[in-house]
Amino acid sequence: MGTAAVRVRGLWKRFGQQVAVAGIDLELPAGRFIGLVGPNGAGKTTTLSMVTGLLRPDQGTVEVVGHDVWRDPVEVKARIGVLPEGLRLFERLSGRELLAYTGRLRGLPGSEVDKRATQLLDVLDLAGAQHKLVVDYSTGMRKKIGLASALLHNPEVLFLDEPFEGVDPVSAQTIRGVLERYTASGATVVFSSHVMELVESLCDWVAVMAAGRIRAHGPLAEVRGESPSLQQAFLELVGAHGRDTGSDLDWLGGGAR
Amino acid sequence: MSAVPGTSPGTAAGTAGVSADGVPVVSVFVRLKLSLLRNGLRQSARRRAAYIASVTLVLVFAALQLVGLIALRGNAHAASVAVLLLAVLALGWAVMPLFFPSGDETLDPTRLVMLPLRPRPLVRALLVASLVGIGPLFTLCVLVGSVIAVAYGAAAYAVAVVAVPLGLLVCVALARAVAAVNIRLLTSRKGRDLAVLSGLVIAVGAQMVNFGAQRLGSAGLGELDPAAEVLGWVPPASVIGAVDAVSEGSYGVGVARLALSGLALAGLLSLWSRHLTRLMTSPDGSTLQAATAGSRDRTRSAGLGRFLPAGRTGTIMERSLRYVWRDPKTKAAWVTSLAIGLIVPVFNALQGTGSIYFACFAAGMLGVLMYNQFGQDTSAFWMVAMTISSPRDAFVELRGRALALLVITLPYATFVTVLTTAMLGDWPALPEVLGLSFALLGAMLATGAWSSARFPYSIPQEGYKNVAPGQAGLAWISIFGGMIAAALLCVPVIALTIWLNATADGDDWSWLLLPLGAAYGAGVALLGLRLAAPRTAARLPEILSAVSKG
Repeated sequence: MGTAAVRVRGLWKRFGQQVAVAGIDLELPAGRFIGLVGPNGAGKTTTLSMVTGLLRPDQGTVEVVGHDVWRDPVEVKARIGVLPEGLRLFERLSGRELLAYTGRLRGLPGSEVDKRATQLLDVLDLAGAQHKLVVDYSTGMRKKIGLASALLHNPEVLFLDEPFEGVDPVSAQTIRGVLERYTASGATVVFSSHVMELVESLCDWVAVMAAGRIRAHGPLAEVRGESPSLQQAFLELVGAHGRDTGSDLDWLGGGAR
Repeated sequence: MSAVPGTSPGTAAGTAGVSADGVPVVSVFVRLKLSLLRNGLRQSARRRAAYIASVTLVLVFAALQLVGLIALRGNAHAASVAVLLLAVLALGWAVMPLFFPSGDETLDPTRLVMLPLRPRPLVRALLVASLVGIGPLFTLCVLVGSVIAVAYGAAAYAVAVVAVPLGLLVCVALARAVAAVNIRLLTSRKGRDLAVLSGLVIAVGAQMVNFGAQRLGSAGLGELDPAAEVLGWVPPASVIGAVDAVSEGSYGVGVARLALSGLALAGLLSLWSRHLTRLMTSPDGSTLQAATAGSRDRTRSAGLGRFLPAGRTGTIMERSLRYVWRDPKTKAAWVTSLAIGLIVPVFNALQGTGSIYFACFAAGMLGVLMYNQFGQDTSAFWMVAMTISSPRDAFVELRGRALALLVITLPYATFVTVLTTAMLGDWPALPEVLGLSFALLGAMLATGAWSSARFPYSIPQEGYKNVAPGQAGLAWISIFGGMIAAALLCVPVIALTIWLNATADGDDWSWLLLPLGAAYGAGVALLGLRLAAPRTAARLPEILSAVSKG
């Protein structure tokens, strides 16, 4: 692997008293399927927001494919696709209108946008709902249309924040298929999740985050180490092991009251 | 879930078991309503204060109209006023559930689906429970006041004993029936969109009432008689019509009017009961419906794009214009601006108190729409932010939004100005007023663009509020500071207008103000966009976090 897709140095973010991201140094290799894992509140969304230029860091630098996110936005924004978590889309547009809008705003020629939109809607199984307003979409459909608008301009690096959260298995499989095809052609996917099984089955490179810091990073096998699963390795890394419920709930079982 | 925190599971289960005879169900529902009210108030001191304030307000208002109606006794038009008042009140009862669907949780029968209840006792219980509240109390006051205003003789009072409860029941049953018939709409997205427009309906309605009251003040109450003649036969206003008829000795008419209200009540109850039964025995098809209805929701403005410039500018304009129609918050803001921008100059002209310069009001009101552009996007602004990487991009973005605004505001401001001029007949002043309007519009666009970048704030998507909690100060600075700045920016054009009007042969040159005002407006707007663009480009993350609080 040549240059890093993302290079983060000394990244900090505080919200009032609370430290959300406490000094991250990280290098994500290009052309990989990268998982950023961690429990809720670990700082994954904050980190991804700062990396994609949606949130200003208190301190630190971020480079995407060799360009500084904050000093060279022209180069960076054209090369990345983003699917944030917890932010709206322009929901009063239909799925197709949203893609037409995003593509043209990105400066692609109209005919090219329409061609790509048709293909994306087809592949993501949204063709039947393309004229429905996004506000009436289900969670899975929203994630898929968000993914489509993130992919429309064929970015080099794709950042997805919890792309499988609240998504039904069929949609999840569709999203998975599209992402696997995308990385197979040499592009980079960085996605965050707190579902270890998912990360383990999808990613070849992971970074583990907890309490605003990176606890481990590297190829999946390396991070997993001796543990039987990523879940086990993760629990050991964040120190949540040995908190078994034990005999506290020994009455629970649905039998006699 | 704050649904039924007050009723313990034990009581709910117990009453479900004895619902067959009906009586306990009524008391359970009344108690449910009271405990919902009590628990709602217990949640926060602010809510308690708001409730007490609204109760006080309603009571004061009820007392005032009671005194007013009693004072009307003996007036020749008293019956007309009373009948109309009740008709308007009934209209309020009919539209209330459409605009405030979540106002009463016992109103939503879908919450009771799991309980073994029979339709008849349920309807009776719900009807009695809905008599508890401020609305019914106010209606009762109006009814009692109306009876005092129109009733003469023992027979009339005897009729009133039936008329007052009957009128109240018709009002309440009307609201319940409307809610039950429309419950699918009300719980869907379209229903929630409708609710956002409610504040607007009230605002425009208040303007109309205000105007109507002024007309009455000048023309006398006699104007009401023809309308009251008809409404005296329409339930529930016909109950007052009945009391009035009996007072005048027309017993037949009185009984007929009373019977009409009785029939209406029976009809509404049966309609309500039928819909209630259907709602509670058939599965909720609202999501199913939405899925199939989607194909009808086709792009309305497919041809719009053809008339817009190509590239980024046209794309931005198209999105902005679509949002005017499709986004309830944006639509509400637009309709408010369009309505007030028209009502103020035109109504003033109608009343003869107007000045032609009031026509500038339209430009001012519409210019307000340029403010907080990014707040109107909500957190979807990230999609815009991802495509802005230079001040040039930000300039094109802001210019596209300003152009979309101008597509509607320019013809509209011109139309209002010409209309006002025509009503006042002051044609020589038209060019200068148009020039002033255009200059003001340009200045509002300039300050609007700048404060969109500098003072963005969130617009909550649900409810009537236009500012997220904690950002009200920001909104005030943004809009009022901006308006003052816009007025100051217009000073050169205003000064020129005054000077031309003051000098002897100035009128010969006043037409010059039209091209000058238009050019000045365009120049100021362009300058404002140029100044706002680098600020926007440099503050994208800050703007995003400011507009994502709703």
